[in-house]
Amino acid sequence: MTLKLTINGQERELAVPPQTPLLNVLRNDLSLNGPKYGCGLGECGACSVLIDGMAARSCVLPVSAAVGHNVTTLDGLAQNGQLDPVQQAFIDAQAAQCGYCLNGMIITVRGLLNHNAQPTAEQIRAALEHNLCRCGTHVEILQAAERAVVINAVALEEAPYE
Amino acid sequence: MSDGSMLNGQQAPAGTSALLSKARYGVVVRPPFYRWSDGRFASDRLVGVDKNSLASLSGPIDVVVEGDFVGVVADSLALATDAAKQLKVEWRTVRQAADKSPAKMPVEESHPPYASASHAYGWPSRMRWGNHPSWVIADYSDQQLSVWGPTATPVALKQDLSRLTALDVSQIELYSAVNNHSTQQASGLGRHCGDDAAVDAALMSRAVGSPVAVWLDARYAKDVEALGQAQRITLNADLSSDGEIARYRYQQANLTGEVAAVGLWLSGAAAIAELTEFPSGDNDTPPFSPYVFRDQYLAARSQPASLTTNPTLTGIQQAFARESFLDEVARESEQDPIALRLRHLEDARGIELIESVAKRAEWQRPSDQPADSLPRQLMRGRGFAYSQLPDRDQRVEAGVRSAWIADVEVNRITGDVQLTRLVVGQDAGPDIDTARLQQTLQARVLGEARPFLGHEPRFDEWGDGSRALTKHESSALAPTTSSPTIYSPSASVAAVGEDVLTGAELSPGVAVIANALFDATGLRFRQPPFTANRVRQALEESAIEGSGRPSKPVKQSRSTKRRWLAAAAFTTIAGTAAMAWPWKGAIAPVSRPAANLYSAETIERGRLVAAAGDCAACHTSEGGVTNVGGRAFETPFGTLFSTNITPDEVTGIGQWSYAAFERAMRHGISRDGSHLYPAFPYTAFAKTSDADLQALYAYLMAQPPVAAEKNTNELSFPFSVRALMAGWNTLYHNPAPFQPDPMQSELYNRGAYLAEGLGHCSACHSPRNAMGAEKSGGAYLAGAFVDGWEAPPLNTLSRAPVPWSEASLYDYLRQGESALHGVASGPMAPVVAGLGELPEYDVRAIAHYVAAQMQAPTGNSDADVAGAEQRVASAALSAPELEAGERLFEGSCAACHVASGVPTFSSARINLALNTNLHSDHPDNVIQSILGGVHAEHVPGVGNMPGFADSFSNTQVADLATYLRARFAPEKAPWQQVEQRIADLRQPHHNNTHSTP
Repeated sequence: MTLKLTINGQERELAVPPQTPLLNVLRNDLSLNGPKYGCGLGECGACSVLIDGMAARSCVLPVSAAVGHNVTTLDGLAQNGQLDPVQQAFIDAQAAQCGYCLNGMIITVRGLLNHNAQPTAEQIRAALEHNLCRCGTHVEILQAAERAVVINAVALEEAPYE
Repeated sequence: MSDGSMLNGQQAPAGTSALLSKARYGVVVRPPFYRWSDGRFASDRLVGVDKNSLASLSGPIDVVVEGDFVGVVADSLALATDAAKQLKVEWRTVRQAADKSPAKMPVEESHPPYASASHAYGWPSRMRWGNHPSWVIADYSDQQLSVWGPTATPVALKQDLSRLTALDVSQIELYSAVNNHSTQQASGLGRHCGDDAAVDAALMSRAVGSPVAVWLDARYAKDVEALGQAQRITLNADLSSDGEIARYRYQQANLTGEVAAVGLWLSGAAAIAELTEFPSGDNDTPPFSPYVFRDQYLAARSQPASLTTNPTLTGIQQAFARESFLDEVARESEQDPIALRLRHLEDARGIELIESVAKRAEWQRPSDQPADSLPRQLMRGRGFAYSQLPDRDQRVEAGVRSAWIADVEVNRITGDVQLTRLVVGQDAGPDIDTARLQQTLQARVLGEARPFLGHEPRFDEWGDGSRALTKHESSALAPTTSSPTIYSPSASVAAVGEDVLTGAELSPGVAVIANALFDATGLRFRQPPFTANRVRQALEESAIEGSGRPSKPVKQSRSTKRRWLAAAAFTTIAGTAAMAWPWKGAIAPVSRPAANLYSAETIERGRLVAAAGDCAACHTSEGGVTNVGGRAFETPFGTLFSTNITPDEVTGIGQWSYAAFERAMRHGISRDGSHLYPAFPYTAFAKTSDADLQALYAYLMAQPPVAAEKNTNELSFPFSVRALMAGWNTLYHNPAPFQPDPMQSELYNRGAYLAEGLGHCSACHSPRNAMGAEKSGGAYLAGAFVDGWEAPPLNTLSRAPVPWSEASLYDYLRQGESALHGVASGPMAPVVAGLGELPEYDVRAIAHYVAAQMQAPTGNSDADVAGAEQRVASAALSAPELEAGERLFEGSCAACHVASGVPTFSSARINLALNTNLHSDHPDNVIQSILGGVHAEHVPGVGNMPGFADSFSNTQVADLATYLRARFAPEKAPWQQVEQRIADLRQPHHNNTHSTP
């Protein structure tokens, strides 16, 4: 039995057991190593991917649940060689120590901005509340997120109907 | 159009239910003996009715007495039924000495050497009204009579009603709940007992002065039996040595068609009409025969006592008898049926027509396919019939000739007859658009074929339910969407006769099928209808008598046919025996039936039956091959293992005959005669219909066989002694098949059939007594514990924070989640997956039935939804001060179970404040969910929660469960001894989360 998935804009056909976690398929079968394996219980957020523009914890999601939806990983965030505004903001703010959580942070902020392009500082904190960072770079991460709001707004103005 | 009736203007979708709300309910009390026989109606005479016998019943009850007619009218059907039972009625017996039973048409044997033939053909006075109960409502007021109900013969019914009430037919309105094919019904095969019910209702309505509803159900089958034959035609022939028919004799007992309704006879109205309106002997018309014999005698007696005439029906009856007889003569004297007819036909057009039809239909080509292409449960046959009717002025030349060839397939197990091909040649004069004629004939022929080839929707029918909805829901209590058809008041016998298509060309329709049936089965059916039941019974009888196919050439599959019939007969005997005493002989092993024995349709039906019964849920071990068994069940009596139900001959059911399979399903006895334990819910499966069980057997036998390791049950004494189950069964097992409740709708009965039978809901959701038997009564579906999970109550004891509704139940069963309650998990998840295979209608039916047990409304009210929102809001604000639990919740659960204001794809969609499990009196399901997670594997997108068995200690799970209870079900008392329960339940759990990449 094969499953048809749309991942980073590409149609993929995979012969995997439908109950396999999406994360395993992305990393092992498709070599998309942006999403990370953290807790394996959906607690830390390191495995986050975007599904239909919303953040999802791919370690607890069976691959069959993604059939018929658009999956975007960190690897597919950049468009035409241009980094996503959120990625650019995290680089600008140098918001990493070990970097293991950053996939989840970036994906979660991207999901937030997709839903609300002008979030308040409060809303950013709420959105990131359940993404864990063990290195303690929370301050830089929040700065990066705030910067992402600005860059994202500029990008939207340049190509509002992309 | 009548405007005087208070019930008029009912074209609104409310339909029958609106009528019922205004009607009272009538139940008739028939005399112990009443019979129509030889053109006379006889019955016991009424002496008196003791109305005091009803004193103990409360509520207004009217007793209607007219002549020998007795009926009871009350404000509810239940009360009227009780009253009818309780009413003391005294009858004077006028039973005739010799109670002839002409309705029985035995399957006769031929007596070679062959020189003469004599056979009689009958036509029943009443067709049965399907298996579907429905309402018949009559409203008599202000010199107006309106009747709602099914009738196939509106003209005859109007005449009856007119005689009953002395109203003119123009003052009588008939409304049919069946809205299609009214013209075909009008040209149908005769009256059915709906007409008797209509006359009963009208009689009672006139007597009590309000609308009266009568429930048309199996009780009216008694009328069908009592009225016997309306028509009996005897044919004799002597054959010359070369096979030519030298002498032909045709005697028809009753030229004019139909027998008046029982109510009319009993009340005496029919007898009066007979005297005044029908001088006898005027309309003696000799029957017409298209054939020419050297010596022929044709006679038809006119019966004044039969009140209505129907030339269409008479034509069909005459052609049926004549064409069946010629077919019999031909088969018995080993002649080709068409060749024999041609020998006796002089009409050039007719000969030409028959030859062209025979050529077009490839009459000579054998209808038998090579054995390997025909599934062995099917028998095929081909029949021919011809008719020629003169026109209205008795001009033979101008009449219509019609030659038919039909192919049928008969299922030897179910008795189903499929009309697989029909070739009709019609000579209908020069000015006929042949294409249109062909089209009309096709529609009429096939439409006409349906009522007596018997495919009546019933409670065990599989499909999308659409037919049941359009055709029968309207006649039950539920609202209908179809507006009733009104028979045109101008329709009359003459008008029907005008239509050249109505008369002649339908005449061979019944005969051609009877002849094809004989070709297929070797059995002669000399009286319609040819329902699946009758065909099956005839097949079984002929198998028991061991005289299967008297004059049929031997076909390749003959021996297997015999064996099958024998097996079917054995089943019945075994079933009866097992009901009567603890019978436990072994049933001889058989080799596995061939893969092509069953049709694809049967196997597909079986697949649906298996899905509804969810066999795989129990008969598949974790990670094992489907249906191979080996799943362990912890019971209070010890550990049981499910068995291999793949057709493996050694470890599975490969050597089980159908008889053995059915015995196991209905009586809980294995093929080898040992008793099965009621963990296998045969107590529920016994309610399954025969057709469904046969299909299930076909499906299971068609699956690939897989060998399994035998597991040994670990039961404590005395439960390890299987023979003791015999006593258990007499105490607790009722093997009676499902009986639909006439007071309930189609949808309810379908739901009940699925839920009580195949679905075996009560196996998990009803508590069991100390002997492991399901409790009934108030404890039915009252909730129970199975396999470490709580199966919550499905009756009024439900603890759901927001009350269940039928719509919520449907969502839950169909989608695996209800927005107001939560997701299906644990052992319920595979159930939902199984239901996913079923048509939508069936799932709706189950939801409807369960909602009725819960006394739940159809949909959730705005107040319910507002209450749910209120719960969610208050749970978000007020966290209890349980620090350890809160930390665990925030760390492990909140990412998915707390809304952050941004939509995410993987979060739980249904708030824990609405979760039924958190509001239960028992923490079991919550503990199970935390330890093992929620994996609705078969329902994508629903419930994907990891298990925390490996991450949390018992104390942590207890802290978390206590916190969840306090936060999301704050009005409920805290659970007690949670940690102990966790220790008990943890055992079976291993790491349910998936391993690292």
